[in-house]
Amino acid sequence: MGTIVVIDVYATAGDAAAGAAAERASQEISGQVAEAVATLHRADETFSTWKPGSPVSRLRRGELSRAQVPAELAEVLDRCAVARDWSGGWFDPWAVPGGFDPSGYVKGWAAQNALAAFRSSAICGVLVNAAGDIASSGGLGDGTPFRIGIADPRDPLRLAEIVELTGAIATSGTYERGEHLIDPRSGRPAARAASASVTGPDLGLADALATALAVAGEAGLALIDGLGGYEALVINPDGSKRRTKGFPVAAVSSA
Amino acid sequence: MRRAPIVITATVVGLIAVIEFHTRPSAVSVANIPAAGAAATSPATSAPATRPTSKSKSKSATPKASTASPPSSTRTATGPQVNYSWGVLSVSVTVSGTKITKVGIASLDDGGNPRSQSIDQYSIPQLEQQALAAQSANIQGVSGASYTSAGFQQSLQAALQKLGVG
Repeated sequence: MGTIVVIDVYATAGDAAAGAAAERASQEISGQVAEAVATLHRADETFSTWKPGSPVSRLRRGELSRAQVPAELAEVLDRCAVARDWSGGWFDPWAVPGGFDPSGYVKGWAAQNALAAFRSSAICGVLVNAAGDIASSGGLGDGTPFRIGIADPRDPLRLAEIVELTGAIATSGTYERGEHLIDPRSGRPAARAASASVTGPDLGLADALATALAVAGEAGLALIDGLGGYEALVINPDGSKRRTKGFPVAAVSSA
Repeated sequence: MRRAPIVITATVVGLIAVIEFHTRPSAVSVANIPAAGAAATSPATSAPATRPTSKSKSKSATPKASTASPPSSTRTATGPQVNYSWGVLSVSVTVSGTKITKVGIASLDDGGNPRSQSIDQYSIPQLEQQALAAQSANIQGVSGASYTSAGFQQSLQAALQKLGVG
């Protein structure tokens, strides 16, 4: 199973930009794209539980101790522990068969890190979309924020909601058959929400919290309320929606 | 997909990056699942996907200097065959001017195993509709999409770029 990451770079250099300037900006951005891609590949090498030689696989088999793991893995271990605390234990990468599996955090974490590559002044906004979990900076360039749809878990022909995005959004749920969320409290598959979305400054944490909320259901919203900068939307199996007060729903009408 | 601590099978394997540049979107925009809001007037470039396990190539970007709007006629293009979780698919798209009027699967090989087929039957029609819904909603992305959708959007985006509207 793989993840595809789509990177959209919105640049301000428009038709007015002289050819040479546009060319320079384009080359600069290309270099930054390569840097972002390298970041993603490095994360894949380090955190793949499918690659027997990856540091995370070696940690799982007990071949590496906590003190021996590479810095990036040590960082993720720390952050997963934070995410577990912040989620009240509903996100728990240690409570899975096979040992520590940070996949629910790492995809967002890697996408968030990839975003840091884009420093060109010609760029007005970037979206790094890791299979539906999105890290962003900036917007469309004239102060207009990015608009991101949330797929409707009951009727995926439609969007359940549209948000005006600042930072990151992650959505967890049962959109595609074959997904199973495990309730860390019982060790069994369980998802009380049809879909849970979390926005906030960091996609890794948003990703972990969305996973937690999908399992916990709307009762978990109180946890998010207590976290500065993070907001959430839960869609219940009956289609009803509950959200934290600050969840950035876009105005109903769309351009 | 996703959600992983959890998912017994899931992990971040085979990251593929699809890169798109957009110049500042103009008033007319074409939205689709991934890319959306693409400038109709000068889509700059698209670097092909790289796969960590196979060859890794990165095309350098040369922006098109085109300033003309795409023709308003109805045109159709098919994107490349793209690997997705369950096999290989390609997407065709029909546009009228810069508006997507139809999105569909041009080819699909899911290896014939029942699980793949069940997922495809469930998700592909949704993806087709989502692409259209995304356009009408003027959005730049969809959260809560799927693995399948990533391959779908990659092929769709390439098809749109062939038409000069992606």
